Amino acid sequence: MSFEKQRDEVAALCKKLLADGAVSRVVGFREGGVEGMSLPYIFTDPAGVDMLTWNSRCLPNLNGYLTGGEGNTAIVAKPCDARAVVALISEKQLRREDIHIIGLVCDGMVDANGDPLPACVECSVNCPPVYDDLIDDPDVAEKTGGEQVSNDTSLERFEAEIDKCILCFSCRQACYGCYCQTCFMDRGSPGWQPTVPGRGDKMLYHAGRTMHLAGRCVECGACENACASGVDIRYLIREVTNFVGELYDYRAGMDLDARPAMLSYAAGDREVGFLGGDGDGH
Amino acid sequence: MAISKDVMRGFLAHLSAGRTLIGPVDTGKVIEYRKASPNEILMDDRVSYKSIKEFYFPQVERMFTFSEGEVQDHDNPAGCAIFGGKPCDLEALRVMKAVFTTGKFADPFFERRFDANLLIGVGCIAKKPGCFCDQVEVDMAFSDFCDIMLEDSGEGYNVEYLSEKGRQALNEYPPTKDVACGNTRKADPPQADALALSPAITEAGFFEAIDWAKSTETCQGCGLCSFICPTCHCFDFRDSSENGTVHRYKCWDSCIYPKFTLHASGHNPRESRAARYRQRLLHKYRYVPDNFGLTACTGCGRCVRGCPVGMDIRQVVKQVMEVQP
Ligand code: SF4
Ligand code: SF4
Ligand code: SF4
Ligand code: SF4
Repeated sequence: MSFEKQRDEVAALCKKLLADGAVSRVVGFREGGVEGMSLPYIFTDPAGVDMLTWNSRCLPNLNGYLTGGEGNTAIVAKPCDARAVVALISEKQLRREDIHIIGLVCDGMVDANGDPLPACVECSVNCPPVYDDLIDDPDVAEKTGGEQVSNDTSLERFEAEIDKCILCFSCRQACYGCYCQTCFMDRGSPGWQPTVPGRGDKMLYHAGRTMHLAGRCVECGACENACASGVDIRYLIREVTNFVGELYDYRAGMDLDARPAMLSYAAGDREVGFLGGDGDGH
Repeated sequence: MAISKDVMRGFLAHLSAGRTLIGPVDTGKVIEYRKASPNEILMDDRVSYKSIKEFYFPQVERMFTFSEGEVQDHDNPAGCAIFGGKPCDLEALRVMKAVFTTGKFADPFFERRFDANLLIGVGCIAKKPGCFCDQVEVDMAFSDFCDIMLEDSGEGYNVEYLSEKGRQALNEYPPTKDVACGNTRKADPPQADALALSPAITEAGFFEAIDWAKSTETCQGCGLCSFICPTCHCFDFRDSSENGTVHRYKCWDSCIYPKFTLHASGHNPRESRAARYRQRLLHKYRYVPDNFGLTACTGCGRCVRGCPVGMDIRQVVKQVMEVQP
């Protein structure tokens, strides 16, 4: 199996879905970007599906394109895209019946130099947890743990990353989870957006976004892939994701029936989740 | 005069004694212009992810301070020596100079940086993926909009000066004392696939020309393209006060952001992302050409390479051109 074979299967399926009227749009990828990058594209016509592509350069998370059309939408979903769909459904942003998930078994995406993307190296979910159709690839070995990464949480590391950030908000726009109509950063009253985008204000943005993503990150890496400045702030979100995982045994986007950790409360929830610190109180 | 890259490093070391030296540096993740020592400056053909514009038009610039009824202006910035601006960057600075200093109101903040900086341009050897300078009449190897121009032969540089400032700087350093004045050359004749919009079409005509919503439907509206663009020059004023002292700042803004045109009434004349993208494109290809006779896109390709979803301004311009009479 290979990308080409999966591609042909996906294309045949998308054609059929559009021709049968099962969906009115297919969100997927086409060729044509620089440095081999595949471009997100919304297919509406079965003939147009000839342009559909599936390769190791299908980077962006496609969840930003799921709403807005008439009728049902199909998504050509990497495992992380599928997890984001599940998370959006759990958060009542999408209805399961409106979305057709064409899940692909995925061995990871690469950057312009052909090097595996950091989030893909760490990824431990190479089969979409939820799908309507699965396009398998038996050659992709099942992943178990993903690669261990540095959990240095020092202020120095944070500052070094912050100093590269130009506060363009591209990471926010790329994230499936940042769908707020008005981001806290864009609020005028109280005004969060910094007068002078200095170090402290950039920290505030990233710390704020990290907290808003607590227990919601689907580990797709779209935020860092979007960043032109080479900022790695996802490690913060990873810390919080792991913390939520340890506390509540919850991982976003894995299970349609699981209630998101931050949307549920149980009397036995551990105190450290409310009060912080390293205590182990109950 | 042809010189080796080592001599150029010597010249940069000489310059760094009196000025802040800026040049392209490989940070491991990206290439960017920053304060650098002569030895870390890249002298190969690679291109940075953002342009040199922040040394003329910083992301944040304090304009004045207001305290106890007194307005205090800020000191003139110390000049930088900027090495390695690419011809597209230099031509973009030409656009920026026109915008900031033509007409009734000149921007003193831009002007004083422009006057204080020494700009050393370096020609490109090859086009990089996404580069399209040739389609907007920019010569990849040369621009005269700088103080000193270096044409890169790979092994070394052919050096010319293009301003009195450039001549003086070279003159102070013995190995470059005899450098000659550069020609002001014309760019190559426009290519067959030149990107330009017809001045015959009205603004309303462009608004109707294509289905902007379809052509821009994958744009995420992040504004990254305008931050890394060498010609995007929109800014906002922001005030901050601490202990009774008010500082006013001039900060980058972007027409891609929904708040850019949001009125106090709540009305937004550019309600949709498509309308905002259209503004960015027409500003570059129609409004600045109309007002200043220059195209405000110099083909550097940064937005094309940088866009997280691969939006390609060339393709949208081409679509608009196809419907021209
Ligand atoms: S981390 Fe990167 S993408 Fe996010 S705001 Fe900063 S520069 Fe932009
Ligand atoms: S925070 Fe980053 S990695 Fe997590 S879901 Fe958002 S874009 Fe993906
Ligand atoms: S950072 Fe927070 S407020 Fe802003 S869009 Fe993301 S989730 Fe919403
Ligand atoms: S064109 Fe690309 S970089 Fe520019 S705002 Fe849209 S998504 Fe962001």
